[in-house]
Formats: sequence, structure tokens, C-alpha cells
Amino acid sequence: MPARTERYHLREPLTWLAAAVWLWAGQVAWAQTPGSSASAAENGSLGLKAGEDIPSERIQEIYRRILKDWSAGETERAPNELIELETSVVVEGDLGTRKTLLKAEQAVIHQVGAADLEVLVPIAVLHHEAYRRMLDRGARGQATAMSHTRSMARDLAILYREQSGSEGAALVSSRLLTSLGGLLLQSAQQLPAAEMFQQAVELDGRNVAALLGLATIYEKNAQVESAVKYLRRVLEADPENAEGRFRLAMNLKRQDQMAEARKLLDGLTASTDPSWVTPLAYQELARLASDQEKPDEAEKVLRQALERFPDDARLTIQLAAVLDRKGEGREATALIARILASPSSREASSARYLYNTVRPEAFAEARSFLAENSRSRLPVLAQALTSQADVAITEVGR
Amino acid sequence: MSRRAPLLALTLGLLLAAAASAQVAVSILSPAADQPVFGAVDVKVGVQAREPIDRVEVFLNGKLMGSSKMPPYRIRVDAGEDNMRREFRAVAYTRSGVTGADVLVTNPVQIMDELDLKLRAIFVSVTSDGSRNLSLAQEDFQVLDNGAPQEIVTFGRDELPLTAVLLLDTSESMREKEIEAVRQGAKAFLDGMKPADEAMVALFSDRLLRLTPFTSDKTALASTLSGVKSAGGTAVNDFLYLSLKALEMRQGQRVVVLFSDGSDVHSVLPAADVLWKARAGQAMIYWIQLGGKHQSFTSSWRDYTANDREYDDLEKAVRESGGRILPIERAGELTFAFNNILQELRQQYALGYYPNNAKGDGKWHKIDIRVKGFGEKVRHREGYADY
Repeated sequence: MPARTERYHLREPLTWLAAAVWLWAGQVAWAQTPGSSASAAENGSLGLKAGEDIPSERIQEIYRRILKDWSAGETERAPNELIELETSVVVEGDLGTRKTLLKAEQAVIHQVGAADLEVLVPIAVLHHEAYRRMLDRGARGQATAMSHTRSMARDLAILYREQSGSEGAALVSSRLLTSLGGLLLQSAQQLPAAEMFQQAVELDGRNVAALLGLATIYEKNAQVESAVKYLRRVLEADPENAEGRFRLAMNLKRQDQMAEARKLLDGLTASTDPSWVTPLAYQELARLASDQEKPDEAEKVLRQALERFPDDARLTIQLAAVLDRKGEGREATALIARILASPSSREASSARYLYNTVRPEAFAEARSFLAENSRSRLPVLAQALTSQADVAITEVGR
Repeated sequence: MSRRAPLLALTLGLLLAAAASAQVAVSILSPAADQPVFGAVDVKVGVQAREPIDRVEVFLNGKLMGSSKMPPYRIRVDAGEDNMRREFRAVAYTRSGVTGADVLVTNPVQIMDELDLKLRAIFVSVTSDGSRNLSLAQEDFQVLDNGAPQEIVTFGRDELPLTAVLLLDTSESMREKEIEAVRQGAKAFLDGMKPADEAMVALFSDRLLRLTPFTSDKTALASTLSGVKSAGGTAVNDFLYLSLKALEMRQGQRVVVLFSDGSDVHSVLPAADVLWKARAGQAMIYWIQLGGKHQSFTSSWRDYTANDREYDDLEKAVRESGGRILPIERAGELTFAFNNILQELRQQYALGYYPNNAKGDGKWHKIDIRVKGFGEKVRHREGYADY
């Protein structure tokens, strides 16, 4: 059953306000920063119980330890420990516990960030990774904790961009927001995903993955004009983007702009370097022809397609239907019999399904960019964690 | 019809004295003997021998296609795309040189001209006071084709063998509990089949997940329903069209029993193509809908209006075919729904007539069936496209 969707229009992002609140809250909480001490997380398990009343000092201590693990390259353990910490402290539906966690984490970040602003990147990526894993686990009954860690990743990215002001920081922040948007889309949270993509695009107007993500949400919600607007921006930034061209063609078709739609589809099928949308381009070209009652043209397109993609069950079904309507039922029957006899038609996800879902590959570039940027800053984080610099982030910015 | 001809061959070099202890029994386990094959085919070979096997070779129409040295012996063969008879031969060799072989023949798709093409078979459900268990005779029926009275040439009830496609949605929205209910419901339908009946089970999402050939083997059909995992989106139109085409190749009382928990999202074919096929063919469509009435939705493929139109066309295809939609709220009602359909099919009256006004021009012929007496409700195919 298709997911129900609601019509909505994107709201103005509120994150800038959140970033300002961050600076203030961090300074207050930092006053409570404890000294370092032994942690219970020696073996990767913190031994915390859900709903445990953990004092702020201890939360800070554990959080600091997790950051240390992360900076030491403990990429498996650190995100899991962060999940354990956050889901233990935050009681579902109790916003007070979330606030406690937020203040404690802010205090630590404020302290290490004072040494070098660049530490915000690996910390943001750590929260991003924890959020990704929580989604993977389908963390039921932990919506508040999930929302917290996602907000941490987002707010740290924005804070980094705000405090740094550099173009490079904008790129990093934009990629982090894009990746978060992709994760939200994967869990069918379209509105927050759209907000992430919107912010990502504001930071980097040529961020193709974010533009495409935004356009896809508009498309899914039947807001064709907005979808077309963002898809045109995708093609300005990356004229050869096959998915962007195909989606634009589909949305133009919805607007009855058939000539431009056909031109885009023709271009896709003419490409000698096929992508996952190439069979779809053939299918839709054939449908255009069928809709215009040109069955011979539809047949020709589909036969060409099957020469390139002989195992594509969908193209075969479509050709059978075209032939059937033309009165060539025998060949149509033989084509259907071939599908029924062919196990290969039963294996892979269809491209039509992929078009209507979120392909993790769409955000792979953003994620590898983030991973690279995080990794290069881990030594800075490690150093900051060992120093006790007593300088506020705001002062660093001066 | 199986044309399998297993051989137990001994090579000329075998000494008679050794024959008794060195026999090699070879059996081609797949593909199935009576099914057409195309494209890439996995040939599975079972071997029993009293000494170690060196290799198994597979030949297609006399040409060596590949070999395997380790069990399970499975060799992928490109069978090509031609619609033709194919002979698969598997030969097993022991280390001492003893061989055994099996031959399996697959048939081309039988595309027969239907000699009785113009015979229209209409299946009629008649209910009176909620009961379908009536005792009506041929004389009680009158058939009108585009208003013209027709001579009923065949009449019967529960006599024609049933040929069914159970087209079952196992897309990702189906939870384990619901899949189990589908399994039980479909099994109840299969259990109710008579020996002459046959069925094909197709589990689909945005692709075909599992598929059986048409068979009367209830055990084989039911085994397809075990251990199913949901995956993918929903492409009702494509696989409903495919099912209707598959039924064109069969005879008898033809029906598609479609189960789905949602509307079509991912099909390449519009529902209008299914409607066209339903009108042109003779199969009935029953649609068990889990989750109640259709609700408007949007996706990357279609907006609200287009999806509503799709649903309307599909609903029309079901209605015009003489079948019906069975909306159910809970998965627990599935067994009842499947049983209900089977019972209805068994209690239908089958009327056959040669339209006296057929022109083969593709135009729509409206069918009216009148039943003598008062109070009976009559449901049947609403008409057909005259091809």
C-alpha cells in the first residue's frame, strides 16, 4: 500500500534560531563541567539502564569518553555507545530529560570546540552516524532520543558554518544536512527531509543531491511547478544528470509540455552510457507514443529497448500489451510465456520501484565527503579532548 | 504433457562384471519437463552413484553448454529466445569413466488457434434471498447480446474445470501476520480445488517474487506460499495483465483471484490496458482488497487524480469481467474471502453461445442475462470486445 502523504508547503527554517540558543546554553552548562574520570564503557558497553537518572556530570564524562573513542578511530563502538547514552538518559515523552542531555553534551562540545572549531565536524558526523544506526535498528519507543541526536547533527553543522564563515565549511555543512535529509526520506519523513534539503541548498546552491531530494519531495506531493523549478536547477549544476533529466521529463509531461519531455527522454535513450533510468526513459517514451495512439512507434521504441535490456521484464510486458492492442496476440502471448518461464524476471528490484523510493546511492557522495572531512579532523578532536582550553566558542570567532 | 525420457546409459567401455556396482543414476531436476524455457536457465542435476563423480556435463540440443564438478550440480545455460522444443541432456562421469545420463525435453509455448473462438462462455451468479444454491435449468435463462436474443448451446454448473491464477501481493507493506493470513486463505482455496482444476500461484510486488506453472498439484502450489518475505512496491496492473494473458493460453472456467492491500503504484501499464484485456478475454477477476476502500494518494509516478482514475479503471475491469471486489478490513477475514470466491465459482451457471451478431470489429457487445422468476439477482460479465 502506498504511503499516505499530505499536501504541504515548506516552512522557513528555524535552525538559525536554534544555533543562537546553542551558544548560550553551552556556556551555561559548561560551568558544570566535571574533571575526567574512569568510565564504565571500557568494553564498548556502558552498562547504562534505560531511564536511569544520570547526573549531568556523569553524562558529560561519558560523552567525553565517547568522543575520545571516536577520535581514536573507534568507528563501530563510539556511535553505539552514543546511542546507549542518549537512549538511557532520554525518557520517551519527557522533554526534561532531553534538555538535561542537551545541556551536558553542549557543555562538552563547548569546551572542546573552544580549542578548535574544526572539532565540530567529527562530532556532528558522530551524531549523524548514531542517528543512521538508530533508524536502521528501527528504534521503537525512542523517537525523542532519535530526534535529539538528529538535531545535534544538524545544529552542529549549522553552527560550524556560522562560526567558520568559510566556503569550505558551507560545503561540509550542506553535505551533512543532505545526508540527514536522505536518512529522513528513507524513513518516510518528508517534511523534515525537505527542510534539511532546503537548508543544504541555501548553504550550497549547487548541491545536486539536495536539489534532487527537494525536487523529489515536491514531485511526490504533486507540486509539479516547484519540482520543475528545482530540477532545472539540478541540470544547471549538472547538465548530464540522468535522474534529473528523467524526473524533469516526467514532471513536464504532467504539465503537458510534451515536446520538451520527449526531447529529454530521447536524449536519455540515445546515451551510450546507460544508467538505472534508461529503461524507464524507453518505457515512458513508449507510453507517450501509446497515449498519442501511435502503437507502431511504441513498438519500435520497446523493441530497441529490449535489444539493450533483453532481461527487462517490464519492457517485455509493455511490448506484449502494445502488440496485443495491435492485434498481434500470438507474439504477445509468446512474450508473456517467456516471462513466466524466466526466473531472471523475479530477482531484482524494478527501476520503477527505485524511482518512487529513496536510493541510498543518491546520497553516497555526500556521505563519503563527510566521512573524509570527519576523518581528517579526528586528530584535532583528539588533541582538543586532551587540552583544557578555557575559551568560549564565541571568543574563538572574534 | 511430460516428454521426459530418463536413460541409464552405460558406456561401451564398461565391463559387464563391473556394471552392477558402477551404475550412475542421473536425473535432471530443473527446468520442468513440460514448461517452455527461454534465456538463462539453471539446469539442476541430481546424481546417485556408488563411486565418486568426476563431473556432470549439460548439453542443449546436442551442444555442450557447461559442466560442474561439485554437487549440487547446477549449470547455467543460455537457452536462447526462440520459441522452440529444447532437449537438455545431462551426463555424469565417475572417476573410473562410468557414465549415466538423463534427457529432458521442454516444449515451445503452445499458441493454438481456438477453434471455438467465437463461442462466448458466460458464467452467471444467481442469488435469491441471499442463496446461490438454486436449481435453475437452461430454459430459465435468456441471453441477449447487444439486445439480440441468442441460442444457448452449452449449459452447465460446476462441470467445467477451474483454471485459476492466485495473484497475491507480497509487497513491503505486508506484515508477517498478513502474509500468514494470505498463505492460509490461498491454501484454503487450493484445498477446495477438484482434481481436474488447476492453478498458478504468483506472488508479486513491483516484480514477480515467486511463480508456479499451472498445475493441479496442490502440494507444489501450497509450498510456494511458505517462507514468503515481503519486498518492494506494488504493480497490480502489470501482473494482472500478465495473469490475464496467461489464462488466454488455458481452457475452462478461467479466473484471476487478486489479493492486494493497496492500489497500483509502480506499473508501467495503465489500468486502461487491464480493462481492455479484461474486455477482450473471457477470464473473471476477483479482487480481495485488504484495508477497505480506495483512498486518494500521490506518488512520484502519478498524482491524486491519475491514481483515482487508475483505481476506477481497475474496478471497472473487475466488474465488467463478471467478478467482484471483496473489501475486507482485517487479514483474519482472508480465508473466508477465498472460500467465498471458490464457492461462488462452483455455483455459477456456465452458458455458451455463438453470437449471431459477431463482426470481429473490436466493438463492445453488451450482454444481458435474464432469469425467469422474481427476486433473483444476476451477476455476470457485462460484455466483451468483439475481436
